[in-house]
Amino acid sequence: MSKVDRDLDNEIDAHLAEAVEDYVARGFSRKDARHAALRDFGGVTQVKQVHREMRSFTFMNWLDFKLGGRMLVKYPGLTIVGGIAMAFAICVGLVVFQILSLFIHPTLPLPQGDRLVEIRVIDLEVNDEEPQILHDFLQWRQSLRSITDVGAWRNSSPNLIDALGDSRPVPVAEMSVSGFKVSGGVPLMGRVLVETDEQPAAPAVAVIGYEVWRTRFGSDPNIVGRIVKFGNEDVTVVGVMREGYEFPVAHDVWMPLKTALLDQMPRSGPVVVAFGMLAPGESMKSAQAELTTVGRQVAAQSPATHQRLEPFIRPFAMMTSPAGDPAGGLILYSVYVFTAALLILICGNVGLLLFARAASREADLVVRTALGASRGRIVAQMFAEALVLGGLAAIVGVIAADVALRYWGMGFLEANMGRLPFWFDLSLSPTSFAVAILLTTAAAAVAGIMPAMKITRGMGDRLKQTTAGSGGLRFGGVWTVVIVAQVAATVIFPAVVYMEQTIMSGIEDFPAGFPTEQYLAVHIERDYAVFGANTDAAALERNARLAGTLEELRRRVEAQPGVAGVTFIASVPTTGSPQKIVEMAYDLDGGAPQANGAEPPFREATVGAVDPSYFEVLDAPVLAGRRFTAADAAAGSRVAIVDQGFVDQILQGRNALGQQVRFRYPGKAPRPWSAGNAADPPGLGDWYEIVGVVPELGLGAPTRKGRAAGLYIPATPNLFVQIQMMAHVPGGDPMTIAPQVREAAAAVDPSLRLVSLQRVNEVNNDVLWVTRLWIRITVVLSSVALLLSLAGIYAVLSFTVARRTREIGVRVALGASRRRVVAATFRRPLLQVTGGILVGTSIVFIAAILIRNTELAGFENELTLAGMAKVIGYGVIMLGVCMLACLVPTHRALNVEPSTALRTE
Amino acid sequence: MVPDKNDVLYGSLGMLVLQTLAAIGPLHGYRLARRIEQISDNQLTLNQGTLYPALLKLQQKEWIAAKWGESETGRRVKVYSLTKAGRKQLESQESRWHRTTGIIDRFFKIPNEA
Repeated sequence: MSKVDRDLDNEIDAHLAEAVEDYVARGFSRKDARHAALRDFGGVTQVKQVHREMRSFTFMNWLDFKLGGRMLVKYPGLTIVGGIAMAFAICVGLVVFQILSLFIHPTLPLPQGDRLVEIRVIDLEVNDEEPQILHDFLQWRQSLRSITDVGAWRNSSPNLIDALGDSRPVPVAEMSVSGFKVSGGVPLMGRVLVETDEQPAAPAVAVIGYEVWRTRFGSDPNIVGRIVKFGNEDVTVVGVMREGYEFPVAHDVWMPLKTALLDQMPRSGPVVVAFGMLAPGESMKSAQAELTTVGRQVAAQSPATHQRLEPFIRPFAMMTSPAGDPAGGLILYSVYVFTAALLILICGNVGLLLFARAASREADLVVRTALGASRGRIVAQMFAEALVLGGLAAIVGVIAADVALRYWGMGFLEANMGRLPFWFDLSLSPTSFAVAILLTTAAAAVAGIMPAMKITRGMGDRLKQTTAGSGGLRFGGVWTVVIVAQVAATVIFPAVVYMEQTIMSGIEDFPAGFPTEQYLAVHIERDYAVFGANTDAAALERNARLAGTLEELRRRVEAQPGVAGVTFIASVPTTGSPQKIVEMAYDLDGGAPQANGAEPPFREATVGAVDPSYFEVLDAPVLAGRRFTAADAAAGSRVAIVDQGFVDQILQGRNALGQQVRFRYPGKAPRPWSAGNAADPPGLGDWYEIVGVVPELGLGAPTRKGRAAGLYIPATPNLFVQIQMMAHVPGGDPMTIAPQVREAAAAVDPSLRLVSLQRVNEVNNDVLWVTRLWIRITVVLSSVALLLSLAGIYAVLSFTVARRTREIGVRVALGASRRRVVAATFRRPLLQVTGGILVGTSIVFIAAILIRNTELAGFENELTLAGMAKVIGYGVIMLGVCMLACLVPTHRALNVEPSTALRTE
Repeated sequence: MVPDKNDVLYGSLGMLVLQTLAAIGPLHGYRLARRIEQISDNQLTLNQGTLYPALLKLQQKEWIAAKWGESETGRRVKVYSLTKAGRKQLESQESRWHRTTGIIDRFFKIPNEA
């Protein structure tokens, strides 16, 4: 019993006792006095009951929730549709929150993660980060007091060659030893790195991660002290880190950052990232102030290099966050806004259903108002009902969000970002549950309060005017907008699915022009830049050696059984080779710029740098002229081969052989083809003579618009920006030779890093995966939109029919034909649905036109007459589907018996 | 329409409570019920129990306040008193009442023309 109930009992007891005293004073016997007092009072139990009911009208109580629960059972259709919709909204909200949290307020799962900072330098002149900061790093380490344990790391990925000879690159952090301190790194075995390891003369040592120890060394308990090969270097393993340790970002092996490396001229040397820990009592602000002072001192010492440089600190985990720069932040927040809008739209729709349900209980609500229930009370009650529905939906939504994040969340991020930082964690936390509760409350507020406000407006007047159910309530303009928007969404989403399907089949069916499933693509990574401003003699010599290494690798792989040939190209077919602007000799007047100064026509070719053996290994037929020969790759040779796409689109059917072509923006790089980009100052490149024509061999990409105009330039693979080796295995699965390829590479040069080995027909799998995920998301979205639309239309029509039952009865009784009555009743919903479909198809239509004129691939042929017919036909189908929702209410209206309808009022 | 001896005028119990509290000052439930009956010269008799929902409603509207106190006989009772808002409400109810009864009065004073 509650305190209020006890108080009332006491009060009534006192009342009766006082009354008894009075009667006794008037001469009654105590028994008679008691009897009389009870008679005067009336029913004690009833008074308590009424009192309790009145109290329950003061604020939301458990009765409201009980009633809400009863409503769920009583209206199962609404429960299912509304529940699914709200669960979906909560799920989407939670998933978006979890993913965006990683970028907006990431947290480091480290003991003092919130005090760990990254120190970086911004070049104010170009408003970009200056990556060569070793000179500054030394200054910081010596002078900063507010940031302790200042350290740095640089990334590398040498091959780790294990006992079995398997050679694979591993992500290595060459890191200051303070990195282990700030991250609380504790070894599972052996030790972490110490300062003496950083000395130039110290022997090469490494600490390996748990995963590397487990997968590459079979959890060897005697690993500490063993010498393993990293590329060409012999390195002693001194420790194994515990499971899950990947500091600083996503690293598996740690080597000391040698002090010899640190002494650099300002703005030179290798690229490193600096970090440190805020000293006790210091804040980001005070540390930034000191850093700025130190930065100014450095600028005073080296004005030539540091005039426009400014050092900044930011929380360590923010390094992966685009929230820092305005554009990235805007995108993140716009995702929030979009999600909120989606949430409101969905819950607004559920609100529509709840409104219809409440409208059917209008009589009940009117009576309760008469009994003294205030408007706030009824609103609170409907909010409670929505909350019960929302609570159920939240359970489903949270579970769905957990599943989605677990199965697709990390995969989605990895597909977009590569290996994820160690602090990326999508599992649900207490904060997630708080967000879920918040979302549920918000959803219930939209779905419950909005319709309640509407239904209770002018309730007092309705109380006086009408009998319940005879038409006081109306669906207003807001609901019209909601329904129209909803039907429009129902039309749009499947169109988006269709578009995504088109993209996907475009990727799947992209013609490569040769049997891609028979080829193995091996990405060989180069870690040094040979071209551009920083090229030195040593790098060039190293590059010349690379030519020999690759030749030897080719020889060894070709010697493997089953391998028909090995060749090299800069980009794997179907992944999109670089596009460059070219000029044809016939565009110009004999090779000189045109006399009248007119711009030559814009011609874009897709350029493939290939080994001379390329067409032979691909078994490509020669349509005209010849293939490349080894001599074509020699310096000074200027020949090219074009594909049919080039002939059709650029040469416009001219005879290709003997035509002269050159790059319009030759860059500074000393590659023979010197293809720069449009940002470079224009200049004249060398003329290349076209010596052959081949069919289209997938130089473009399915994600690119239009047909590629392919132009092949011969070169030795050591000159490629990226090196892709392609091995032809005609008789079987090319993946079967992958181990032999790795072995051969390790034998030829242990430092040669094979980043990925995959079948050429699978190189676009990651794009496909992301596209499929989007399709799934859109399918779910469309299903929810469709479900809500149908339920909404059904609810509105049922409501209309119920409200006008009497009117229909009267009209029919007066001799109106049922057909006309039904037409009059359904005019409005029909208009809404038609309006929605018109809006939806128009948006699809406009979007199709816009998409056609953008870079999106696969759509250039879509907006034909057939395409338009599809859109219109689809709109008609949707109209039919929406009309399905009208069947039951129509049937009900047609069966209105005048006598019954009139009797019910 | 003539009020029966057992009925309190429909809807006017609240007004009677407010007026009684205004005239006599803070009272507990039983005393309040008796006072209303006495003031009406026993023309009105309450079903005393109905007083309590009415008191609750007046409290919810913050026209009266309640606190635990002691009765003349030393019992622990809830004592009700008029609030400032209640006094204001009473004034407006009183003037409305006079206006209403005044209007109705005029109808009873229409000379019989027939």
